[in-house]
Amino acid sequence: MTRILTEHFDTEPELHEIDVYRRLGGYAGLSKALGMSRAEVVAEVVKSNLRGLGGAGFPTGGKWQTVPGEDKVPGPRYVVANADESEPGCFKDRVLITRAPHQLLEGVLIAAHAIGAKETFIFIRGEYQNQYDVLARAIAQADAAGFTAHASIALMRGAGAYISGLDTALLETMEGKKAWPRQPPPFPTVSGLMGRPTVVNNVETLSMLPSIMVKGGEWFAKIGSPKNGGTVVFSVSGHVEQPGIYEVPMGSKLRDVLTLAGGVRGGRKLKCVIPGGTSMPPLLEKDLDIALDFDAIRAAGTFLGAGGMIVLDETADAVEVAHNIERFLAHESCGQCTPCREGSFWSEEILERMLEGKGEGEDVRNLARIGENITGKVICALGDTVGMVTRAYISKFPEDFNKRVATDGS
Amino acid sequence: MKTKAPVRSPFTPEQEKELLSWTTKYPYKNMGLIEALRCVQAWQRQVSEPAAAYVAELFDLPLNHVWGVATFFPTFTQWKTGKHRVGLCHGLSCSLAGSSRMEACLSKTLGVPEKTATSDGTFSWETMECLGACEQGPALQVNDRLQGRATQALIEELARDLK
Repeated sequence: MTRILTEHFDTEPELHEIDVYRRLGGYAGLSKALGMSRAEVVAEVVKSNLRGLGGAGFPTGGKWQTVPGEDKVPGPRYVVANADESEPGCFKDRVLITRAPHQLLEGVLIAAHAIGAKETFIFIRGEYQNQYDVLARAIAQADAAGFTAHASIALMRGAGAYISGLDTALLETMEGKKAWPRQPPPFPTVSGLMGRPTVVNNVETLSMLPSIMVKGGEWFAKIGSPKNGGTVVFSVSGHVEQPGIYEVPMGSKLRDVLTLAGGVRGGRKLKCVIPGGTSMPPLLEKDLDIALDFDAIRAAGTFLGAGGMIVLDETADAVEVAHNIERFLAHESCGQCTPCREGSFWSEEILERMLEGKGEGEDVRNLARIGENITGKVICALGDTVGMVTRAYISKFPEDFNKRVATDGS
Repeated sequence: MKTKAPVRSPFTPEQEKELLSWTTKYPYKNMGLIEALRCVQAWQRQVSEPAAAYVAELFDLPLNHVWGVATFFPTFTQWKTGKHRVGLCHGLSCSLAGSSRMEACLSKTLGVPEKTATSDGTFSWETMECLGACEQGPALQVNDRLQGRATQALIEELARDLK
């Protein structure tokens, strides 16, 4: 199977060193990009069908095209690499940074050229201190090699809030504020960091750029499925034999990724697979032949998200799983929108009560009702997730919920 | 007319210098605020109101802005953590790998409940949301470093070695 980002991971333990990265063709994509006009670089990325791999799946080239030209909006513009990986189940950015920091830096520098940014930032979650150190060292190497002549790269750290990983909340965090998502429009490409045009792209997305520059957008598009170019890196954890990261072409089958990870642990039966991180509704055994790309998986009622795949075997209990996820969402709700702040709290409370054996007759219906009262009434997707998660687990595993609720005469 | 009372510094001159450096590190002053508060948390094991007031003055921000930030982000605490701050991930993958057993183990080995420092101030522990180490659960965050695959033996060893 074609691998792009992790191609050398098995054979090159020192890939994080700039000399090793360059020996394998590293920074050739940047040289090529710098020899092209900005419009040519953007056109190549549009042609590649690269999608935003941080979860939203927005076409990367299309996002760049919405940055106003310097004739319309003169002055600074920025590129921000989103390394605030926090969705439960996702750890691929951590591995990509640890093993191939220069691949990310090269991508950031290509994006900077494409939009005319002279300053770029990598915003990394504070818990990734090892990766912060790896990047600080790699940036010093790139500086010394002269690769940052057209654009500087600065590091910034977060302080433990999941919501900082959402682009507009990330910008608020960078500006030294509470991570409260903004209500777009305007989108960050028009008004981002300190009101300046800003492109926020995920680590994995940016890391794809060097190969697209070297081998061309058409080559990249051919690897994936229609409108979903290239590959995607899944973080696989939970009840599997070989947890870890697995890179597969866009459109590969869920079954293939499960097989790469050694299958369900201990030969047990599969209960469900969360495909993109805990915010995404789970898929069942019957869904294993679904194609993993942004569009096909959406047709199956869930999302590719950031590729955080959690496998649950038959021993898992849907109420316990839903409680774990709702506890997370209640903790991470930023509190800005009342339906999300209150709804996530009460969803967790109700599920906790059910776990303690004190479930009441109306609980299941109330969980669904709370969800309906959040969806579409809040600024960001975290709130929508609160209801989506409970609805999904209730509808797919009603028996797990019903046995937790006292029925009349019991 | 009321005059503003001068804010007394709860920091050493070296620390004051470092905090000041964060006001000029990025293109806009406020972009250094989170990093400055990270310093405060590391030095004082909490962000207290006097510390926040000093930082607010340094960044030309109202105290309520800095206090809002200090109380929003989980890295910053208003209680004093132990010299060694241990976080235990209780995200879904770590839960499946047995993190609730590790909760009991931390509480027993360190002899304190969650978010309470030991009487000598050496340790505190707390549950944390997903640490991004789902393939090596249950994951621990020991001060600023990740420690995967926690076991009872590993926790006992940490408690011994870090003392």
